[in-house]
Amino acid sequence: MILQRSVSQKLLALVLLSTLAALLVAIAAMVAYDLRLYHQSWIADLNTQAELLARTTAPALAFDDARVAKENLELLRYRPKVRAAAIYNARGGLFASYAGDGQETFPKLPGIDGASIQGDDLVVFKRVINDREILGTVYLRAEYELYDRLLGYLGIAAVVALAAMLVAYALSLRMQRVVTRPLLAIAGVAREVTEKRNFALRAEKLSEDEIGKLAEAFNTMLAEIGRATQELEASSREAAREVSERRRAEQEVLRLNAELEQRVKERTSQLEYTNAELEAFCYSVSHDLRAPLRAIDGFSQALMEDFSKDVPEEGRRYLGRVRSATQRMAQLIEDLLNLSRVSRAGLARREVDVSELARQVAAELQQREPDRKVDLLVWDAIRADADPRLLRAALENLVGNAWKFTAKREHPRIEVGSLRDGSRVTFFVRDNGAGFDMAYASKLFGAFQRLHSVNEFAGTGIGLATVQRIVHRHGGRIWADAQPGKGAAFYFTLEPDGGQITEPAAEEAQAI
Amino acid sequence: MDSLIRILVLAALLAAGPVAAQTDRAAEIQIKAAFLYKFGGFVEWPAGAFARPDAAFMIGVIGADALAAELEQVVAGRTVQGRAVSVRKLRRGESLSGLHVLFVGQQEASRLAEILASAKSQPLLVVTEFDNALSQGSMINFVAVDDKVRFDVALPPAERGQLRISARLLAVARKVVSSS
Repeated sequence: MILQRSVSQKLLALVLLSTLAALLVAIAAMVAYDLRLYHQSWIADLNTQAELLARTTAPALAFDDARVAKENLELLRYRPKVRAAAIYNARGGLFASYAGDGQETFPKLPGIDGASIQGDDLVVFKRVINDREILGTVYLRAEYELYDRLLGYLGIAAVVALAAMLVAYALSLRMQRVVTRPLLAIAGVAREVTEKRNFALRAEKLSEDEIGKLAEAFNTMLAEIGRATQELEASSREAAREVSERRRAEQEVLRLNAELEQRVKERTSQLEYTNAELEAFCYSVSHDLRAPLRAIDGFSQALMEDFSKDVPEEGRRYLGRVRSATQRMAQLIEDLLNLSRVSRAGLARREVDVSELARQVAAELQQREPDRKVDLLVWDAIRADADPRLLRAALENLVGNAWKFTAKREHPRIEVGSLRDGSRVTFFVRDNGAGFDMAYASKLFGAFQRLHSVNEFAGTGIGLATVQRIVHRHGGRIWADAQPGKGAAFYFTLEPDGGQITEPAAEEAQAI
Repeated sequence: MDSLIRILVLAALLAAGPVAAQTDRAAEIQIKAAFLYKFGGFVEWPAGAFARPDAAFMIGVIGADALAAELEQVVAGRTVQGRAVSVRKLRRGESLSGLHVLFVGQQEASRLAEILASAKSQPLLVVTEFDNALSQGSMINFVAVDDKVRFDVALPPAERGQLRISARLLAVARKVVSSS
């Protein structure tokens, strides 16, 4: 296992390096101390030896007895490390000498007092003084083993270091388990948790140190993760439940919508059916009313013409009233039939020259009342995609209204035109006639709604309702704008709006 | 062997003539004078041997005027055991009192006992240069060995004179007589 080897090796390296460093420092210090001690003590030793020799050989020098001096030097045989020794007399001549191993060359003259290192040797000179008189000099040459000792120490250091490292290695192999075992336990649990996703596992706490705290923290973390995972699962279950609930609700909404649509469809068809019935009823009633009306009118006329002499003046006035009412009723029936027809007839769209149509309508009106002078302005080249018969009926009503409500103007004026806004075309018919109060605009397009009295302006009150129906059948809208006494303008379109909302400012009405 | 060398040396000396012999004699006196002075450094005198703390170290010479003269030159400016050294040439019958060292020359060899008789109770180092001197009360006696000046030491007279001769001195003595 890489982790194990890694941590173990690090610990091992740590221990061994520490041991080695400590050993090296300790050994270096010891060696330095020992070598210094050796140096000092060896010099002191030789100095003492030289002093002793000086004392011992002082009489020999004093009494010029080289033999005795030689004998004194010979005692150095018991100091094998002293390789050579000599006594010089007061004049610097060699007085006696000793060589540990055969041939030896001695300095020709004694040096000054003191010790010095010469190669591998330590050389000491010492004055021989007796009773304040310099008698001569002692010369000693001894082995100086500093480098040998150093080499020896290095050898010992190597052996000791090796042994210490071996011991440290063996010890740390055993002791590092104390450190690595809890770590490995945690690592093992971590691996198991990752592989099995089992957050219920816990690391065993094997020690009370930082690793023990690590194990505790690790366990706390596992518990936290386990709890979070459970919460997550719970919340996703909740989310799934909510989703399915919402789906059920949506389906319910769809079902209700379908039901509603079905109901609307049913109601619509019922309504259409009722409407159709109503219109059929209206048509037949209107149609059937004409015959008796014609009889009333016809016989009233015959009575006036054939029996004019038998009928008193007042009776003839009554008959005139009967005929007038009859004719108005005929007109009313005609209009109702027209309105009904507009609803029932099919829509046959084609391109229509609106300008031409408007001029024809105006010409018919002029023909009917040749005395009236109206300033008519019809824009050129107004075209529409519409049913020509129905559009003509609409224009007859709108232009007819304008004609009618400008009757009391000194300079009556009627304008027919169109406005283009993008692809949408709005047609308009406006005049400078009586106008109306916008407060009544909402009632403008209802059947039998009149904003002026019959005495003021003639009409049945069905015209604008017819126009609105025609416009609606083309899918368009109609609205109006007016001011009392200033005139009125009617706007309409013949195509669906495509979403645009421009509420008709409707108004008033002039009766048809 | 020794005798052979001696003969050879004597022959050489004879060949060199009277001058050489005279020179040897002078050298011998010089060495003996030096030794005589140096002995003082290896012998202890009893406390009462010196009258005052700064009393001089007295060396008396009898029967060796040349040596006495030489010795006076040797000790000039020198000290023994911290004391100035003074040399006295003695005549026959002169008092030995105040002396610390007495050298009796060859000339007075026959009268040694007589000379020493007057100094029986005195701590006096007696040095001689003739045969049988040690048996007559001398403590150090010069001898010639291989043309070199050496000396023998007799401890009993020294002990009697309350003198302590250093072992270091004994180490360079040719012969030490330790009991009579």
